[in-house]
Amino acid sequence: MRTPRTLAVVTAAATALALAGCAGGTAQPVADISAEPDFSGELSILTKFGGDPLEAYFEDLAAEYEQLHPDVKLELIQETDQSIKDKTKTLTASGALPDIFFTWTGNWAQNFVRGGIAADLSEVIAPGTEWGDTFGEASLSAFEFDGKYYGIPLYNNGKFMGYSKAAFQAAGVEVPTTFEELIGACGPLRDAGYEPIAFGNKDGWPALHYLQQLFAHNVPSDVLQADFDPETAKWDDPGYAAALEQFGELVGTCTDSGKGTNGVLYTTAQEALGSGRAAMYYQEVLEFDSITVEGAKVTTEDFGIFPLPAAEGAAGDPAAIEGSPEGYFINAKSPQAALAVDFMRFATSTEHAQTLSSPPYGQPSTVVGAVTEETSSKAVFEGITKVNEASQLVVWLDTVTVPEVADAWLAGGEALISGSATPEEVLESVRAANDDAK
Amino acid sequence: MNRIGFVGAIARVFVWSFLLGLVLVVLYPLLWMVLNGFKTNAELFGNPFALPLQFGWQNYVDAWNRGVSDYLTASVLVTITSTITTVFISAWAAYGLTRVRMPFGRTISGIILGGLMLAPAVALVPLVRMFQAMGLYNTFWALLILYTAFRIPFTTFLIRSYMIDLPREVDEAAEVDGASRWTAFWLIILPMCRPIIISTILLHVLFAWNEYLFAMVFTSGTTIQTLPVGLTSLMSKHGTDYPVVFAGMVVAALPVIVLFFVSQRHFVKGLAEGMGK
Amino acid sequence: MFAQRTTTPSEARSGASYRLPPTVTEAVVTVPRSRRPRPRGNRSRLSRIAGLAWVLPALVVLGVFVYLPLVQNFVFSTQESDIYTGTQQFVGLANYEKLLGDPIFWSAFGNNVLYAVLSIVFQVGGALILAAMIESLRSSRWRKALRAIYFIPSAISLTVAGLLFYFIYEPNLGLLNHLLSTVGLGGLAQPWLGQESTAMVSIIAMSQWQGFGYCTLLFAVAIQRIPSELYEAASLDGIGSVGRFFHITVPLVREMTGLMMIITISGAFQVFNEVMVMTSGGPNNSTQVLASWLYRSGFVRNDFGYAAAIATVLFIVTMIVALAQLWYTRRRRVEF
Repeated sequence: MRTPRTLAVVTAAATALALAGCAGGTAQPVADISAEPDFSGELSILTKFGGDPLEAYFEDLAAEYEQLHPDVKLELIQETDQSIKDKTKTLTASGALPDIFFTWTGNWAQNFVRGGIAADLSEVIAPGTEWGDTFGEASLSAFEFDGKYYGIPLYNNGKFMGYSKAAFQAAGVEVPTTFEELIGACGPLRDAGYEPIAFGNKDGWPALHYLQQLFAHNVPSDVLQADFDPETAKWDDPGYAAALEQFGELVGTCTDSGKGTNGVLYTTAQEALGSGRAAMYYQEVLEFDSITVEGAKVTTEDFGIFPLPAAEGAAGDPAAIEGSPEGYFINAKSPQAALAVDFMRFATSTEHAQTLSSPPYGQPSTVVGAVTEETSSKAVFEGITKVNEASQLVVWLDTVTVPEVADAWLAGGEALISGSATPEEVLESVRAANDDAK
Repeated sequence: MNRIGFVGAIARVFVWSFLLGLVLVVLYPLLWMVLNGFKTNAELFGNPFALPLQFGWQNYVDAWNRGVSDYLTASVLVTITSTITTVFISAWAAYGLTRVRMPFGRTISGIILGGLMLAPAVALVPLVRMFQAMGLYNTFWALLILYTAFRIPFTTFLIRSYMIDLPREVDEAAEVDGASRWTAFWLIILPMCRPIIISTILLHVLFAWNEYLFAMVFTSGTTIQTLPVGLTSLMSKHGTDYPVVFAGMVVAALPVIVLFFVSQRHFVKGLAEGMGK
Repeated sequence: MFAQRTTTPSEARSGASYRLPPTVTEAVVTVPRSRRPRPRGNRSRLSRIAGLAWVLPALVVLGVFVYLPLVQNFVFSTQESDIYTGTQQFVGLANYEKLLGDPIFWSAFGNNVLYAVLSIVFQVGGALILAAMIESLRSSRWRKALRAIYFIPSAISLTVAGLLFYFIYEPNLGLLNHLLSTVGLGGLAQPWLGQESTAMVSIIAMSQWQGFGYCTLLFAVAIQRIPSELYEAASLDGIGSVGRFFHITVPLVREMTGLMMIITISGAFQVFNEVMVMTSGGPNNSTQVLASWLYRSGFVRNDFGYAAAIATVLFIVTMIVALAQLWYTRRRRVEF
């Protein structure tokens, strides 16, 4: 423009303002969770239960709680599995996280602990406390960092191959116990007119779930765990290459979408199993009850599950299952922390836990005794039993690693599917991302 | 018919088939979208070409109940209010720049119109922090302010280029009659600018109704989600219920299309007069 | 064939010169001498300062919400910030160094350039030709109808268009692959958005579908202002329709063309909506554009400083485009 002087003055003033805004924030009062809650005011909750049928769960809980405590108003922000990552990051970046918010385990949770955003709940929820003893201990330790307990585990989750028993019968195949048998079953299934495995990777994480399970089978556990931390990671065990090749084999032989899988939504794949067009679909326990809904071709009788089988002679832990509890943090900076604790206690009562574990929700609660043959569907009960019996639970690849590495794996999975990168190239990019993250 | 006539006839056929072919390329996807809103899930996954078996409104009802009603309300609210604020602030600024003598006139002109160069994405990160600090992060006000701020340059530009050519005699006559600037603006100049004002209103409605980036980043919870964001939310919440998503898309698209058809004469007229004077 | 019909009375403005739309930069820079307001005597100083009140709201709003964030963004780009601890650390130009060495940044930049090039071809070049074709038709009803029909996709938001085309491109239940197999071209059916070689172009195609009607309308408005006598004189001189297009239409819509080019190029660099909705930047980051990579770096990879650096590059590019256009049009203007 024509008047550099004016512009310079304006810019200088603006810069001063901007820098002033960047000075350290004011100190916030630390939440006191063991105080006696003052049953009034507003409580905000960010949940992962957006949409049908899950959103009713917290809505009902909120309505019930508000009836018990009329001066309390609950604000629900319900996001879906896909949108909650963005939403949480945006809220964190702007310092606007609600009083209670959803969290996965692993590095995802650790960031909040490190930043002092997650309140330390050891006083009320550690094993040995009244509330803490209502949970299975493994689920509590998923949220334990440095000996302190931060998160409230709400439900458990694990990844299994869901299948249609009718399809298997029609093709004359048995439930596979090794990876080779799984690949071998795909031919007969296709001949019987089914898409062997429905797979949709538009969102990127479905591929990661396959990869992590294969890593757990093929890479020795201590090496795998060390590789999740950028400081100790090497990402060079031969088990990785083996796993990536197995993945490629599965996509090539057993899926109809093949190289085009990156263009298919996971919900389309889910629908393919539910409507009887596909024989198998790799899914989380949380998704079991949404396959066997009313009107679906696959009924609860017809629906079966098995863990993804390991290849013969795999060097890792063949009995490991990919999965993890999911839960909620209390915002350490929340002025309503005590009230939040009370609400979460209310939400995890045995009665509510059983509701959560039953259809239509089918989210198996971590509360001891909530998941029984009476309360939960057959598949969910079987799934949780297997999760509890697994030698170890390996957490999802995109929440257990740091974002740069997770992102590299996400892109790598897509590249493997579309054939634009070899396993070695993918590992290279992961190592590079790892170095960036140090 | 001589040779040129024959070539001319061929050329005419070519032109017409091209134009009509283009009409097909434009309308067919839209028709598909509307028809899909009437299908059931099974039909959709079955044969994309087939007509729906029946033309029931169930999908639309479902879409409405699953949040589209809220999204629609939010969109209407934000669009109407931001249109009012944007057009008025821009009209004031255009009036000031063209009819009022002021210090630093050229600089101010440059500052306001220079805003045309700034991409919203550039301001995203600082705006997130700024709004949170002001406590306006998750509110209707955030969208209102941002939609106004980022459209002022373009709207001012349009109104200004129209106002610049209005005859000076009108202002002088008003001054002689003892009218203040303020009165002159409201009673004389603004009515004379009707064509361009209508065009700017329509352009702003088009923008605000369809804006995505700010709406996505700044709103959480269904009470303030506008249609574009709400649609993607609908898609992720009811993943396998695609026909409902299509119904939602039609609800989002229809109002602006209707608005445009109803007002296209004014829209074109305003642009033609405003830009071509 | 491209013979111009007579301008109707309602469209011609008698008395005023046929001056074509002013460009952005001209609007900024030029206030014709004959149009400058005359001084108003001894009221002048007070009324001049009071005059500022008219532009004050616009200035305040722009200053706080547009310009201030711009400066802040530049400041953020020199920091590494951790959203979890809420702290920042000054790192100088480290983010920019990282940007220069980041293959995905360059791929994103390349995608934006591809976008710009294809958009100029179809939405500026193509729309101009289309507008000329339409304006050459004799029936005014057909002209209006066609312009209106072509505009419909532009009235639909990019989100809706993006979702619609996601479904059209879907490998199994999508319209495109089914259409191809129906006409016997089934071999061409592929996962348009699912593979890296076709994903970006597919998104750009959708964007052209959505945008060309808007450009066509604007060009039609510009073409209507060309006096028909010029065309008649040319055809009397024996110049064919194609020649008339290139020697009359194209030069005389030059200013509109310039405006459309700046809008198109700026728009091409700010693409965000359609990419996020259709592919989120995948597969394998092949459809990332600057704005989506900015978003991903900040909101997914937690690297807000880097996102701010990308944003600064975006700003520089759009500024260069605007300044280039300023330089270009100061050298030429269209007068009849």
